[in-house]
Amino acid sequence: MTDPRHTQDSNDELLIEHFRQHTSGEPPASLDAFILATARREAPTPTPSLWQRWLQACQRPRWQMAFATVAGVALMIGLVLRSPVPHEELASPASMEFSADRQAPAVAAAPPPAMPAPAPITPIAPQGELARAPASPVQSLAEKPAAKMSKPAPAALPSLEQGLMEILRLREAGESKAADEKLLALQKRFPEEDLPARLEALRKR
Amino acid sequence: MDSPSDEALLSRYRSGDGAAFEALYARHRQGLYRFLVSLSNKAELAEEVFQDTWLSLIRSTSEPQGRASFRTWLFQIARNRLIDHWRKHGIHNPLHDSYDEQLHGQPDDSAGPEQLLSLSRDQARLDSALQNLPEDQREVFLLRLHGELEVPQIAALTGAPLETVKSRLRYAQQKLRRLLAEEVPA
Repeated sequence: MTDPRHTQDSNDELLIEHFRQHTSGEPPASLDAFILATARREAPTPTPSLWQRWLQACQRPRWQMAFATVAGVALMIGLVLRSPVPHEELASPASMEFSADRQAPAVAAAPPPAMPAPAPITPIAPQGELARAPASPVQSLAEKPAAKMSKPAPAALPSLEQGLMEILRLREAGESKAADEKLLALQKRFPEEDLPARLEALRKR
Repeated sequence: MDSPSDEALLSRYRSGDGAAFEALYARHRQGLYRFLVSLSNKAELAEEVFQDTWLSLIRSTSEPQGRASFRTWLFQIARNRLIDHWRKHGIHNPLHDSYDEQLHGQPDDSAGPEQLLSLSRDQARLDSALQNLPEDQREVFLLRLHGELEVPQIAALTGAPLETVKSRLRYAQQKLRRLLAEEVPA
């Protein structure tokens, strides 16, 4: 048995299909062209992505100037923060105390420095950087005064009186040659002094 | 690869893809045009409404709402434009006529497939048969024929109850079969 409803539906579809096959009619080509041209002309402008908008902003002169200013300021701040503390400040005890106070939290965990004078510590330099070889000329320049300060000071030359006393002592000990050499050396240091006369007077005393 | 849906094409066009509109237009130009020509029975009026419909779609930022398909939305715009034209020119809107299907419905005695094969293929006769349909039956049939809409979509578009749309479609098809039936040679 065939289902009457199913037969009716298929007949309806056949009728629709019959009409589709035998119906003609197209919009005029001029109408197509007009509508498509309007659609192209009035199509919304594509919304640029965030990255494209950023690039476009960078290409505008006004923003270029702003970015350049910001970059310049940042560079200057960076340079100022990284420049070493002047040597004179480090050399004076007051400045060393100040520096030590400021850096106390940072160096608290570090072992006590072996050098007599601490290397200049820049405020933003990490602790590990101090232990390494100087990475920049600025840093190496900053360390040179400290190296000089660590050298022992040369021994002070004996005064004229002390030199004469030494010569007398050597003569009394029978070391005339050494005493004469000392005398010559002393005469070079004090050419205007009458050393033999002063030596004689000292011996009498 | 599946072709993009109408809704996806419309969305792409709204985002600036001009080629998406061309694809959308190519899909629906013929069905919409034939629907308007058959419903208005005037080529010039059909062309005017056809153009208005597409320009309105181009210039609007709205999109199909809820579960309505793009096709339903497009034909609804066209239908509203045609009704607006009739109203503007003081023409009585034939689509709003109340129509008693029972009075115009006649027993369908030509439903057999063998008789469908003998339906007239003459374009003028097909058009004439369509024009002989009551307006509301013709509209439902044309939405099914050229819009390829299902009965629930037609009901949503016309604002008529589902059962009313079904009966209008049934009576329209019965009458068309009767009008187009050709005598089968014995």
